[in-house]
Amino acid sequence: MTPLDRNGALRSIALAAILAASLALPASAQTRGGSATLGVEQDIAGFDPLTVGVYDTGQEATAVLIFETLTRLDDSGKPVPGLALSWEHSADFKTWTYKLRPGVTFQDGSPFNAQTIVSNTQRMLDPNNHCRCVFYISFIDHVEAADDLTVVFHLKYPQPNLPALQAPVTVTNVIHSPKAIEAMKEGYNRHPVGTGPFQIKSWQSGDRIVLERNPHYWDKARPYLDEITIRPLPDNTARFASVQSGETDIIWTDRAEDIVKARKIPSLIVHEYAGSGAQVYAFNTKVPPFDDVRVRQAVRMAVDLNAYSKAEFDGLWQPAKDPFGPGSFVQCKDAGALPYDPAKAKALLRDYGKPVAFKMEVTATPRGREVGQIFQEFWRDVGAEMTIDQIDQTALVTKAFRRDFQLTPWRIIDLADPDPQMYANFHTGSPVNLANYSNPEVDRLLDDARSSADQEKRVDDYCRIAKILNQEVPWFWTVDNHYFSIAKPQLKGIPKQFSDIIDLSGAWWDKK
Amino acid sequence: MLGLIGRKLVYLVPVLLAVTALTFLIAGLLPGDLAIAMLGDQATPENVAALHKKLGLDLPLWQQYLHWLGGVLGGDLGTSHRTGETVLHAIAGRLPVSLELLVMAELGGIALGVPLAILCAVRPGSPFDRAVSGVAFASLSVPPFMLAILLIFVFALRLGVLPATAYVPFSQDALGNLRAMALPGATLALLEWPGVMRVLRSDMISTLQEDYIAMARAKGLTARRILLVHALKPSSLTLITVVGVNIGRLIGGAVITEAIFALPGMGRLLVEAIYLRDFVVLQGGVLFVAVGFVLINFVVDLLYAALDPRIRHGRA
Repeated sequence: MTPLDRNGALRSIALAAILAASLALPASAQTRGGSATLGVEQDIAGFDPLTVGVYDTGQEATAVLIFETLTRLDDSGKPVPGLALSWEHSADFKTWTYKLRPGVTFQDGSPFNAQTIVSNTQRMLDPNNHCRCVFYISFIDHVEAADDLTVVFHLKYPQPNLPALQAPVTVTNVIHSPKAIEAMKEGYNRHPVGTGPFQIKSWQSGDRIVLERNPHYWDKARPYLDEITIRPLPDNTARFASVQSGETDIIWTDRAEDIVKARKIPSLIVHEYAGSGAQVYAFNTKVPPFDDVRVRQAVRMAVDLNAYSKAEFDGLWQPAKDPFGPGSFVQCKDAGALPYDPAKAKALLRDYGKPVAFKMEVTATPRGREVGQIFQEFWRDVGAEMTIDQIDQTALVTKAFRRDFQLTPWRIIDLADPDPQMYANFHTGSPVNLANYSNPEVDRLLDDARSSADQEKRVDDYCRIAKILNQEVPWFWTVDNHYFSIAKPQLKGIPKQFSDIIDLSGAWWDKK
Repeated sequence: MLGLIGRKLVYLVPVLLAVTALTFLIAGLLPGDLAIAMLGDQATPENVAALHKKLGLDLPLWQQYLHWLGGVLGGDLGTSHRTGETVLHAIAGRLPVSLELLVMAELGGIALGVPLAILCAVRPGSPFDRAVSGVAFASLSVPPFMLAILLIFVFALRLGVLPATAYVPFSQDALGNLRAMALPGATLALLEWPGVMRVLRSDMISTLQEDYIAMARAKGLTARRILLVHALKPSSLTLITVVGVNIGRLIGGAVITEAIFALPGMGRLLVEAIYLRDFVVLQGGVLFVAVGFVLINFVVDLLYAALDPRIRHGRA
């Protein structure tokens, strides 16, 4: 058998499998037709990784319609075939081989194949392109096309969870048409071309993106909707009003008061997903008073996270015990989280001996100010004076990287594996190690978790890391990452909101 | 008359230079920059430096300004680094929305303010006059974001008669466009009418004490004719100035109103540009607003001349 024959055979097996899968779907369940409107928060800048660098929730909710990724996540969070049908890895998890789905074309008619993936990845990795997206794929050494439908990822270090990490439609995971990028140059950012079930029909800057059914989509059964409109609605109150009055069918939100209200309205349904990661704060451990572990512990123990969660988030975002969160595969029996103990906090500060006064950065938003004031009260109770420093987002990030802060908010986002963020945040010398934290034992455990394939051992490593971090408090975690959308209940087929992505690619209207 | 227009146009040049230079300066003083906004949590000093170089942000501010100015004189407002969209294209898409909103606000303000002012001026100090003044102050005291949300609550949610965030371009669906613009237009009109009413009312009261009005009364002209023909025109001079100057204030109010009602207008473009330090877009937007503001006040001056012969003939 020549290689070509083998490919041909593989293709027909795969096609048969797809056919069987689509026949197996209950034909009557999903109705076709209709349109839906999604309200997101921010205006959409575009989709070219080199131009935008990272996708926010609105870009991701649009990207999931236009583009596809190698894998998808099923409702249990396991990777299942997307543009790749199957995958295997070398024993050391440093080489991953994907068999690609045959017969897929981009919306511009060009074929999807292994060379497409190579071209997409090399474009982002090329140092001359200065893509800030590089951070998310810095573990990739190079990608090669073994044959037309086989692509091989060669990694710099082991990544046991690569297929899951490649599932969400993040800026580095979606596959663009190299032909369209070549043809449109700078214009590509606003004229994206993917293989997804929808394609762009019109785009009015700042107002809406209208997407229509891709007539050449490889899965003939999908999509079910004819048209989807994405609208940036920056005002929270107006966005919530739009779904109440029916101007939109589903909205993204992070406002607890709207979620609580929506739950009481029968014509609305709240979709939610408790993700991995957490909302976090970093101490600068190189400047007083936080160069002393007693002060960091005291500051952490003075905060009643239960009360904080209730006051600021109506209890919807739950107190966090570790940086991994309820959506992670890392679940620790005992992460050694410090308890709320104002008496102990007072004692630690007394022991420290000097008066404790410090500044905390918060974003110049109502939420930033509220959070600052709540913390201020807790800390005043144990005798620590905190001054709120309200600055806007870009200035906050600048100060954080200059290490020009004492205490700053940060975030650990929902990813399928803790490795990329834990390593960047806590390994000695990492540029994102905001706390300037260095602990040889944590470094060793991070390296071990990175190079091990044994899931149980990795969980054990991460839980031991959490225990150390909870004791030494270079950062502390407040509440988990909880993602919400509010929708009409008749809009079905919406999967879990992994990584805060509202995915309407398989949505349909229940007309009963 | 032509001399007047020419003189005004010459004033325009230094005003625009000053406005754009000031915008550049102020924008340069803001902490953080486009590179940091674009890099987000990847804004390490090395990444920022590399992006600065790529975008030309490593040059001194005055060089960036001169470079920009050169482009503008050649008809090129530049391209947004963030979206790849040309500034001219971005503004062309947004300007009609803001203009429509401003026109609706002014027309609404005048439609409400002028008749009420006339009715109040007829019997100053009457219960009606005092009631209208009270309502005017209340209307003026409510901040636009509050007013907007109140209107959404009543008309979009409770009564369900008008949409809150259903903007469509006029060319696509004229009726839908007017319906969608009704609440934002009303929000700004409610800010606008008290000023119109107060100014016209007091001018009208003094006009009505002029001898020629007494003369007109003596001739037996109807009250309606006296008010609308003899008194309104000479009382409108201050009003026209106020309307012109208020355009500036309305642009400020429009920023908030556009965000709440999700209108893709200039205000939102500018706010986003400031927030993300997209100076090229900010500069282009400010230039347009400044030109617009100066032109409107230029037209106001011309209207003045048309209304008052003394100004036209330089005898004021």
